[in-house]
Amino acid sequence: MAARLNGKLRLGLFERMLLIRRFEEMNIEIWPRHSYMGRQHLYIGHEAIAAAVGLATKRGDICNTTHRNHGYVLARGVDPGKALAEILGREGGTNGGRGGPWHISDKAHGFLTTSAQLGGGLALGVGAGFGLKGKRGKRVSVVHFGDGTMPEGLVYESFNMASVLALPVLFVCENNAIPERGGLLAVKHWDDVPRALSIHCEPPVDGNDAGAVYAVVDKALARIRRTGKPVFIQPNVKAWPGSHKAVPEYTTGVTDLAMAWDAKRAKGPNADWNRTDPVLRMARVLLRAKQATRGDIEAVDAKIGRRLKAALAYAEASPFPKPRSALRGVYA
Amino acid sequence: MPKKTYAAAFVDGINRAMMRDPDIRLIGTGFGGRFEGTLHRNYPSRIVDPPTSEGAMAALGTGAALTGMPTMVHFGTSAFMLEAWNQICHEAAVSHYMTSGDIDVPVTFHGFHGVRVGGAPQHSTSPQAMAANMPGLQVVLPSSPHDAKGLIMSALKSRNPTVFLNHTKLMGIEGEVPTRAYELPFGKLDIKRRGRDVTIVATSWMVQVSLQAAALLAEDGISAEVVDPRTAVPLDMKGIVRSVRKTGRLVCVDETPEMCSIASEVAAGVVQHGFGALKAPIERVCRAPTPTPFSPPLERFTVPQPETIADAARKTVGRGRRRGRRPRRTSA
Repeated sequence: MAARLNGKLRLGLFERMLLIRRFEEMNIEIWPRHSYMGRQHLYIGHEAIAAAVGLATKRGDICNTTHRNHGYVLARGVDPGKALAEILGREGGTNGGRGGPWHISDKAHGFLTTSAQLGGGLALGVGAGFGLKGKRGKRVSVVHFGDGTMPEGLVYESFNMASVLALPVLFVCENNAIPERGGLLAVKHWDDVPRALSIHCEPPVDGNDAGAVYAVVDKALARIRRTGKPVFIQPNVKAWPGSHKAVPEYTTGVTDLAMAWDAKRAKGPNADWNRTDPVLRMARVLLRAKQATRGDIEAVDAKIGRRLKAALAYAEASPFPKPRSALRGVYA
Repeated sequence: MPKKTYAAAFVDGINRAMMRDPDIRLIGTGFGGRFEGTLHRNYPSRIVDPPTSEGAMAALGTGAALTGMPTMVHFGTSAFMLEAWNQICHEAAVSHYMTSGDIDVPVTFHGFHGVRVGGAPQHSTSPQAMAANMPGLQVVLPSSPHDAKGLIMSALKSRNPTVFLNHTKLMGIEGEVPTRAYELPFGKLDIKRRGRDVTIVATSWMVQVSLQAAALLAEDGISAEVVDPRTAVPLDMKGIVRSVRKTGRLVCVDETPEMCSIASEVAAGVVQHGFGALKAPIERVCRAPTPTPFSPPLERFTVPQPETIADAARKTVGRGRRRGRRPRRTSA
């Protein structure tokens, strides 16, 4: 899909994507001195999707994410300092340190809770759709999940529920089809399932193309607000080689933006990845369409760098919660 | 005797059991780290790597067991067992009884339980007390490499459904493990350290923590006996009461929250069957009644530590010696 988007929109997407990328790179960089962070599920490679949803959704829409939740919250405007403080288990984190890296939640930005159980967020998102149905403002519940979630039984129950009850839910199946996990589901196409349950499905899009993802998300959201019924979309993403490392490891190196205008810089074992990298790709689109100059792109990067430096300073300065406070707040 | 890690001993036990009984099938992989390769080499056609569908996995193992095929189903983190709770508790657990003994259910459900550091609320579950509350299930909680091997061999021979829980923190510890095949009986406790002044009953990882507590107590001249029931169901109450008759004092340690915990069951049993032997009120040291927080200081606060166990033991001993009073009747 060659979506023609205006420069402002494209820059908005690029800025969100680069913010996510640099944030995740920072997570890798600081891991050795905060190794208690444990297993990190990073969003590298999926940036186009969170950025598109972040830009296309409205305030008031609700989001349920996957366990790779850092990207979504940043794309919808959660403060990176508070997000990082949460990842580090600090008092100043979005959840006061209780959730950690997989459960960043921020009610003000539509993240009511973040489940790290396969299918958990998807089902809760259908519930959120029920909560929003018929309310003023035609709000939508957006649900992100991966292809790996599709074999969970809860997925079928939830698809069916959303369809039967006609709930305003956008299902975003982020298919990163990690090859070694083949044989997950005996269907030819993921959307065979929601289609069989009478959910409207948009054709799959290239999930590394932020413009294409934005166009399909925008179209799907409009349809949901108009009809009140669920829609299924499927951005196909090329899995980032570091996706399945227990300990974050920047297998593809720190992103060198100059690769966007100097193809020769992309070489070695990661050249393939660098060519399809959604962040670099958006930079190339901006340059080609003359909607941004190298200088503009570097300025965006520098601005993000300053923002993240401040975020890191905030997070690391934030104290750990008092141990005894663990006992508080089990019940409302 | 050769030394082995817990993970190696556990896999060794499964290997021996599969060698002995060619009918055994494994459903799910990733329970034995790098040691698991042996099984994949020896029995490639007897191991299934299923899609992530916990309910169907549990039913696959249970359904096959109903036909007479012994199975082990591995869920990864035992938190995911709860997605199959209905199959475990209402299918596997009840079938033998419901058919007046016509049918046996030789299935073993395995998962990693416990606070593993950084697991946060959704990956730190210890479901042993919940499982113990479902008549029909055996609940096995090994605490050492030696026990892991002998108990898994018994579980895979047993004709009854067994919930077998390994603590994540145990997997790397080393201990002496015989090379030969051996089984350890269910319902027979093991005294992990002999003592005179106070009995500490603990299971799984908490045995190791209690042994550390016993070492602290020894520095104060308090001789603690660390008793490991090894199986919560069946529970060796006679053996526990025997130890309490010797020491007169009891500390129950458990990584499940106190309400309806294994610790509470042990305490109640001792009050019922060994009340006259008690020289001091029973102490329970359990996980705090909260979801497990991510932040390290909070997490640490919510689980029993060597110092908290030692403090509880000192309290029982101090009271007994200082006041020399009979225990208050409300103490348990």
